[in-house]
Amino acid sequence: MQKRARINAAIVMSIIILWLMIPLGATAVYSLFEDWTGIVPRGFTLANYKTIFTDTAFLSAMYQTVLICVIPILITIAVMLLALFTVTVYFPKLEKYMQLLCMIPYTIQGVILSVSILILYARNDSVLSQRMVMLMGAYCIIILPHIYNGIRNGMRAINMKMLLDAAEMLGESKLKAFFKVIVPNIMTGIIVSSLLAVALLFGDYVIIRNLSSANVNNMQQFLYQAMKRSSTEASAVSMVIILITFAITALVLALQSRGMLEKMRNEGK
Amino acid sequence: MKDKRRPKALSGKNVRYYYLLALTPFLFLVIMYELMPLIMLVVDSFKSEKAKDVLFTFENYRKIFTTLSYKKAILNSLKITTISTAFGIVIAFLGARAAYNSRGKFRNAYLTVLNMTSNFAGVPLAFAYMIILGNAGVVKQIANLYGIDFLQNFDLYSSSGLTMIYVYFQIPLSTLLLIPAFNGIRKEWGEANMLLGGTNTHFWHKVGIPVLLPSLFSTLSVLFANALSAYATAYALLMNNFSLLPVNISASFVGDIKTKPKLGAALSVVMMIIMSIVILVNNYITKKTTKWEGS
Repeated sequence: MQKRARINAAIVMSIIILWLMIPLGATAVYSLFEDWTGIVPRGFTLANYKTIFTDTAFLSAMYQTVLICVIPILITIAVMLLALFTVTVYFPKLEKYMQLLCMIPYTIQGVILSVSILILYARNDSVLSQRMVMLMGAYCIIILPHIYNGIRNGMRAINMKMLLDAAEMLGESKLKAFFKVIVPNIMTGIIVSSLLAVALLFGDYVIIRNLSSANVNNMQQFLYQAMKRSSTEASAVSMVIILITFAITALVLALQSRGMLEKMRNEGK
Repeated sequence: MKDKRRPKALSGKNVRYYYLLALTPFLFLVIMYELMPLIMLVVDSFKSEKAKDVLFTFENYRKIFTTLSYKKAILNSLKITTISTAFGIVIAFLGARAAYNSRGKFRNAYLTVLNMTSNFAGVPLAFAYMIILGNAGVVKQIANLYGIDFLQNFDLYSSSGLTMIYVYFQIPLSTLLLIPAFNGIRKEWGEANMLLGGTNTHFWHKVGIPVLLPSLFSTLSVLFANALSAYATAYALLMNNFSLLPVNISASFVGDIKTKPKLGAALSVVMMIIMSIVILVNNYITKKTTKWEGS
């Protein structure tokens, strides 16, 4: 019985792994060969990668992607740290409203968020109607649930009240103590949630399509345009996107398992 | 040091309100880019597309529920979302149970693949399917070579093709969400079931699934929301040629054809209502099914 369950499990896992890997494998093979019309692809080549990495439009899309991912994340983390500090220490009654506000983006998601920001600001004359400002605003909101959860869970894991009281007794103000003592203690949580946010923004297509002006492009948009031009070039772009996403996920997994080990070690003490 | 010479006005209760200042950046962000846009969206959905002086009308909503193409967008969205969610949850159940029943390196490899592919969606995913099953795709060419009928006739650029891609991105997400829930099922229960002469089917029917029910329902609502709001995958595959709620919403604001922002706002409200109903019903069922408390 036990053995049969284990064999069944192995079969199910193999099928799922295979199913999930096929599209990835296909993209990789397609990007690395000149011709793939039969069962066996022919003519190994790195030319597609050479083409895209010498294309200034691709490099500029890559650079812009990094920029428009990093800025909203830094803003949101700073805003969230201040707000969570104030609410947990001074206004615990507001906590549930804050949670509600942070979870709304989860249900409205990209399409509705981007068009509603467009309605509000597109015909405005001030700085708010600038495409870049609208995009940053939308990005800050769409990552709100992730950053909130990351920082909130980190705060729950340590005894924040006690640490702050201790610091206050030693003559530090609470706000200073928060940034000197609490923030370094929840750094792993902050980094993990910002990496998840990077993965989310990196994969965004709809918000940037609806909000950005024509000269701002991210890698997803570049891929979409490359698909229309040449599928071999697009496969190399797609592969670069996939590999970057993998690298981000691998980093998250590594940090999480390290966090888990630390926790186990601390509990053992 | 400064703190000790703090003026009296800032001590005690007043200090507390002084800290409200630290909340202003958060409130600014949320009000400017979350609440106000949503309020404007709802207000706009009741404005008229043509007559600017009309402040309140059901014109847009009437149009949505009487025009074939909009009705079709809603139905297509509901259909693809429901089918991909159903497939997603069944595969996730089997997939998470497999992870629960196994140990060791293979399981770790499996978890790594699930994690890695959980962010594989949108344009790159649609493109990968085009390479495989598109009109000039590898499988198509091989099928032509050997005359395999059902593959030759398979049309990726259709609602079944789109559903297939949606099922793909639902699998890693839903399996990863369900795996922790399986840890709530103790191995001893399976042994007890066996000692009492129960079969495997018995066990899952009477013990396993009831214990998992709350997690199954909360996973369902995540999957539903995920599929309903997916835009990039559908747009990359079919552009504006296939009626879907998110695609129609975007097209009424941005695009080559004449924009209809008021109607788009109403479509957005319809989509939000569908999403809220599903989430509320699921929350209600989850609460109802969590009578059983572990520990």
